[in-house]
Amino acid sequence: MTGRASPPESLSFDRAIARQAAQWLVKLHDDPVSAADRDACARWRAAHPEHERAWQRAEQISSKLGGLPGGIALQSLNRGSRVERRAVLKTLLLLISAPVGYATYRTLPWEQWSADLRTSAGERRSVALADGSELILNTASAVDVRFDAQQRLLVLHAGEIMIRTARDPAAEQGPSRPFVVRTTQGNIRALGTRFIVSAADTHPTMAPATRVTVLEHAVEIRPAIDAGRTRVIEAGQQVSFSGSEIAAPQPADRYAAAWVDGKLIVNAMRLDDFVAQLGRYRRGLLRCDPQISGLRISGAFQLDNIDGILNALPDTLPVAVLYRSRYWVTVIPSPTAS
Amino acid sequence: MAAIDSSLLQVQALYSHHGWLLGWLRRKLGHVSGNAEAADLAQDTFVRILVSHQREQAPELTLREPRAYLVTVATRVLFNHYRRLSLEQAYLQALEQMPQALAPSPEERLLVLETLNEVDAMLDALPAKARSAFLLSQLEGLSYQEIADQLDVSVRTVKRYMALAFEECIMLGN
Repeated sequence: MTGRASPPESLSFDRAIARQAAQWLVKLHDDPVSAADRDACARWRAAHPEHERAWQRAEQISSKLGGLPGGIALQSLNRGSRVERRAVLKTLLLLISAPVGYATYRTLPWEQWSADLRTSAGERRSVALADGSELILNTASAVDVRFDAQQRLLVLHAGEIMIRTARDPAAEQGPSRPFVVRTTQGNIRALGTRFIVSAADTHPTMAPATRVTVLEHAVEIRPAIDAGRTRVIEAGQQVSFSGSEIAAPQPADRYAAAWVDGKLIVNAMRLDDFVAQLGRYRRGLLRCDPQISGLRISGAFQLDNIDGILNALPDTLPVAVLYRSRYWVTVIPSPTAS
Repeated sequence: MAAIDSSLLQVQALYSHHGWLLGWLRRKLGHVSGNAEAADLAQDTFVRILVSHQREQAPELTLREPRAYLVTVATRVLFNHYRRLSLEQAYLQALEQMPQALAPSPEERLLVLETLNEVDAMLDALPAKARSAFLLSQLEGLSYQEIADQLDVSVRTVKRYMALAFEECIMLGN
């Protein structure tokens, strides 16, 4: 915002342009859309920057709606007419003394210990744990913190976390409590260290596996079913393990921790893997057409602007990005390249 | 710069009626809601005034009838507040019908509620059927024909509703 320098037109829209954009949106939503209509719409959008801006605004709103939980959003938003809605309110205000929503508003859950930590798609969060350790949650992650007299336990349900352990302050009085991350597949015990744990993807055809990348010192992995396979993984290694076995350690991805700084750094990554990565940071469906899944991409990308990355893809690869009416985006072969 | 200064001065002059506005809001809210809420809404009223003054010329009313002007703006803020409360209530009711295992975390709830509130504000002025048509299309992915059947109107009317809703969204969204 540059204050007076930007004229008020940059904030609001000309009603006539908004109306035209709205009519185009309705037309293009109709099945089947003729090629002539599609072209005419593209010409309209290109005719003036304000046209394009109005179009983009509507698309954004459409995306926003698509990201909402359908049934619940419909029930909440579709609750009678304006007058009814306000009439309900009067009685409602008499019934509730403390509006629930406002209460949750002001207290964030992780102000209490033993709280469950969550991030939504696109969110990152750093949390200082009670023992001085640092926990960083990547996008769409869920972890419970369970510290007690015996151990410092984190239960990872979904997503990805990085941990930098601190010396246990309880060790001054007695034995140090082990620092353990638990997933469905097993336990990862920190040996004075910094490491990343990714929970298993919910992939129907692959056996669920936890992935661990050790950045400093070492961790000990104990699979849940076959504890006899326990082994130590050293710094610079990454490994996947299931409940019963640990795969051979690989050299760690140099940029495994880039997400902590809000970056995704890839080198000749397959496009389908890349799109899957981006999909983790964005609500809704993000898909890659199998025809172009083998294309390779390299670069450093800002995770705070996933849509920007998507929009720039056609500049570097022979692809196009197809936005459907809902929060459903597909990267497809470029229509001009074929 | 001169424009900013004069509008700031106007808002400052209005601010001398802050205590009076607080009392007005408290009476409107009734004693159940407590003073904190009235204070929040008074704050919202001044923020709204400040923002609109930076954007455009202040209406004549500001200077001549400061309290009347405050009431006009505060009434809008109050309606917004009511609308949000009813939305929250509807949202919580909808959540209660969900299986426990799928219940979102408080953080997720807040995020959803924020978005719902934004959308709700955009659709507020629409006729009920236009809002339903738009929501069925955008949230449920129904085709215009399906929506027409469900609302018992023609496809042509559904398209008119959709255009109306998109237009509102473009005008009011940000």
